[in-house]
Order: sequence, then structure tokens, then C-alpha cells
Amino acid sequence: MSCGGSPQDYAAAVLGHRSLGDGSGLFAVRCEEIASCAEPGQFVMVRPGTGYDPFLGRPLAVADAAGDVFKMIYRVVGRGTALLASKRQGDPVTVRGPIGRGFFSARGEKPLPRKVILAGGSVGAAPLLFAARRLGLSRVEKTVMGVAGKGWEGFAEWLKEAFPGVDLYSDDGTAETKGTVLSGLPDFLPAETELWACGPQGMLRAVAEKYPRDGHRIMAALESRMACGVGGCLGCVIPTVSGNRRVCVDGPVFTAEEVKWNELSSC
Amino acid sequence: MSSLRADLSIAVGGLNLETPVVIASGVWPYDPALWSPERLEGVGALCTKAVSLHPREGNRGVRVWETSCGMLNSIGLQNSGVRGFLKNALPVVRNSGRPFLVNLVMESARDVQENLAVLRDAPGGTEAVELNISCPNVDGDGMAWGISPESAARAVAIARSAWKGSLWVKLTPQAPDLPAVAKAAESEGADALVCGNTWLGMAMDLKRKRPVFQRVAAGLSGPAVFPLALRTVWQVCGAVSIPVVGCGGVARWEDAAAMILAGASAVEVGSALFADFDLPRKIADGLADYLTEAGVSNLAGLVALGRK
Repeated sequence: MSCGGSPQDYAAAVLGHRSLGDGSGLFAVRCEEIASCAEPGQFVMVRPGTGYDPFLGRPLAVADAAGDVFKMIYRVVGRGTALLASKRQGDPVTVRGPIGRGFFSARGEKPLPRKVILAGGSVGAAPLLFAARRLGLSRVEKTVMGVAGKGWEGFAEWLKEAFPGVDLYSDDGTAETKGTVLSGLPDFLPAETELWACGPQGMLRAVAEKYPRDGHRIMAALESRMACGVGGCLGCVIPTVSGNRRVCVDGPVFTAEEVKWNELSSC
Repeated sequence: MSSLRADLSIAVGGLNLETPVVIASGVWPYDPALWSPERLEGVGALCTKAVSLHPREGNRGVRVWETSCGMLNSIGLQNSGVRGFLKNALPVVRNSGRPFLVNLVMESARDVQENLAVLRDAPGGTEAVELNISCPNVDGDGMAWGISPESAARAVAIARSAWKGSLWVKLTPQAPDLPAVAKAAESEGADALVCGNTWLGMAMDLKRKRPVFQRVAAGLSGPAVFPLALRTVWQVCGAVSIPVVGCGGVARWEDAAAMILAGASAVEVGSALFADFDLPRKIADGLADYLTEAGVSNLAGLVALGRK
């Protein structure tokens, strides 16, 4: 399987579906074309069927990939994700991908850092799980994850299982420690260490602002509303220091110093 | 096109199309891999994203919002300007080997004439322009050029005087008397009419308790608007004698067939491509089968058959 080029649509089937409780779940899809090429930070546009309901695909980060199978994590927020949540083993899905610039390719020619801190919020854990697998345990200095709290207990349990040694925070203290992801991060980024983050926009902005001088060492995977996922609709653009950039194909991974955080839409 | 069993070729406003399926403006990225022949199977022509004289950043805030069987967009014509287009996008567009139209933002009279002059003088030239008269007339009172027959006539006359090549004019369904606007565009020298563009709608964000879009109103597209678009195609085809290209909600070959029966010579497909890259081939295959079953030897024989 050769990688590269533009993402394509594939008719695929759900291989397995595991509920993580409270409207969250992890499902595995058999699609060699995507599984063999996907990189941590890249995503897939998923459609629960072949028709126009829902009209647009849902961008979901690749949470793991090996052989001809890749995994994704979802949280039900609307009709599209609810339909995905209803999928069972053998059900058809349409997948478009792999899409975007992941944590590795977004670095360009820069060598991998000696140590990486992983910081994730809710389903933003997905690409970081994949990144941790690719980086290897020896490079992961620390893993900090956050969830909202009540209603996320099942997801929090899964985080503890998926990320051994994770420092887990929740807004209301229902999952391990009360606080946010920021509570678990060091005051200063250690030398030769990068921070890779994925989560809600507010969390990413707060992380970027915590280390104002180290934006070049913070890799953030952003989310945005999008229609096509291939750079055509320009629906997902964000303001950056080099002008408008598309989250789908120019990202979703950007360095924190590229993004004009205070000009990002709050919706 | 070896899979096609009937002749789908058709001449539309100065362009010879191998199939009647045109990729609408604003949906196809300038990724060279997506302009290769194998990715464009079934496509008769492509329309570029909107090109203005000067670069435009587009709108801030939310730009796309899914609706029931459709979507709203408020992109705001983001583009790198005509010179950026010639430098970065046109070579990619040309490589497709397909006929193409440059979708031109109808700005002020002076700007659009300069824009057309830059296009006209570009090395290699450009065959065809699709003039978008849905944009606000900044020379006037901000109303879209295409709302009234008078302003539409002026817009087409301005473009026609500066552009001798194929000129398609993309109408706005917001016009209260669309057939009158269509006639005005025809009288000023349009070679074909695209009927039409997105429909103004809006969405409310229940969490923020505010309109979703900064500009409040946004353009609705997708299968939800197809019956509306088909009705306007019928009305406009009854009013003019130049070719009409149906546009709005086309998402299946049956939609294309309906528009052609109503009088359209071709159809543009837009946001349905976001869901299905392979839609043009499916439409072309479906039309070919339909022609065969109907005993019609070529596509021209299907045009306006529903009016007879």
C-alpha cells in the first residue's frame, strides 16, 4: 500500500464497537488504505452510511492503526455521532482519509524531541493515544488528560486503562483529581521537551498561553467545523500568523505559535 | 467515459462538454491530485472557486453549518485575487484537460473590468467566465447585482464589454422576478445562465443564544433546495432562449435528469460533492442509462422534453 496523495472515499465495515459509557465509544474499522497510511494527528471523515443523512461526514481523529484496521473515538453530540454510535460489527460506513498534517509531518525536517508531554481534553485523547504508541514509552515524559466530570466516568476509566500512569483531571473531581489539564502541567516546559496537545479550543489556547515563549515546542491538533475535509470548502479556516489556514489539510496539527488564538471563533 | 452507453456531449454557451455535469464554484480544492482525469470521471467541465480582483480573506467566525439534508455556508469569497489565481491555481486547473470556467466575483464596474482584463491577457488565456451576480453591488446600494433586471443588465453589459469569450452568468434565486433578470442578462449578451446560487437562510446557536453566523444570513445548499432550484430552472428556461445550466441541490442522476427535462442543458453539482467525490460519474452513468431506456439517442434530445 503506497501512501500520500489526496484522501479518497472508501466503503468500509465496522469491525468492532466498544462503548466507553455515557455516549462515548471506540470503534474499529477495517480499511487497509487508511490504516496503513494514517499518522497520529490525522483524521478521517466518517459517514454512517452511503446516503445524505447526515449530509456531511464527521471528522474523527485516528486513535490507533495497525495492519488493515484503524480505530476512532467518538462522543455523541448530535444526530451524526448518534448514528455512528448505533453502528455494530459488520455495519457499513463510508470513510474518507487519512486527512491532514499529523504530529510527525507537521514538524517538517525537525528530528523528534527527546521527551514529549501529552495533554488531552476529552475525546482529544484519541490522536494522543496513537502518538504515544508511535513515540514509544521512553519518549513520553508525562501524560495529562482532562474530562468535564459527571457523565464522563466511563470515559475516564478508559483513559486510565489506555494511558498507563496518566494524570487524570475533571472539573468536578468525579474522575481522580479535581482541576483542569492545566493543573497537571509543569510551570515551565523542560528542556528538550515538546508538548503535544489535543482537546477543546479553550484548553489548547490556555496551554499555549501558559508557555508564551515556547509556542514552537507546542504541537496542537485543532478541531473545526468542516464540510469536505479536503481543502475545498474553506469552511474550517483559522487565523494564523501566515494568514488563513485550513484545519483539514494545512493542519489539523499546528505549532501553538502559528495560531492567532485570540482571533479564533468561540463557536 | 468508456462506461457511458449514450452520447452525453452537449454544447453550452461556447463550451463543448463531454457530459452535462459541471463542478460548481466553491467546492473543488486546487489539489493537483484531485484534478487528475481519474478523479474527474463523468465531469464535463469545472468551475473555479470565486476570483476577485484583489485577495479577500473571507468571513470570520463559523463558516459552515449542517442543516437537514443540506448546509449553510458563509465563506465570504475567500481567494487570493486574480493574480494569485493565475500564478497558483490556473496551472492546476488547466492540467485537468477539461473545459473550465473562472467564476468571477461581480465587484464594482471598474474592478470587474480590470479583473477580466487580467484574465484576458494571461498567457494561455481562459476560455470562459462565470459571472457571479449574487454579490453586493458596491457601486450601488449594496443590493446584489442580480436582484433587479436593471442592475443585472448593467452587470452583464459591463462584463460583456470587457470579455469576448464565453460568458455564463450565475443568477441569484433571491431575485423577486427571476425570469425578468434572466431576460435582462440574455439581452446584454450572456452566452448561458446558471440558475442559480445558494438560498439565503440562517441558523441559531442554541448554546450561545445567538445567530450562528457573524453575518446572520448564510447560503443554503444541498438536496434540501433541489425542488426550489428545479422550479426556478423551469421558470427561467421558459423565459430565455440561451442555454440554462441548472444548479441547486443536485445530488443524484435523477435530479440532473429532472433539470434537463425542465429545459436545462447541463447541471452544476456543488455541496453534494462534499459527501460523494464520485457523484459526477454516477450522474453521467445514470443519465446514459436513462437515455438508452427512453430511446433518446443523445442528451440534446432530452433537453426541455418535459415542456413539450
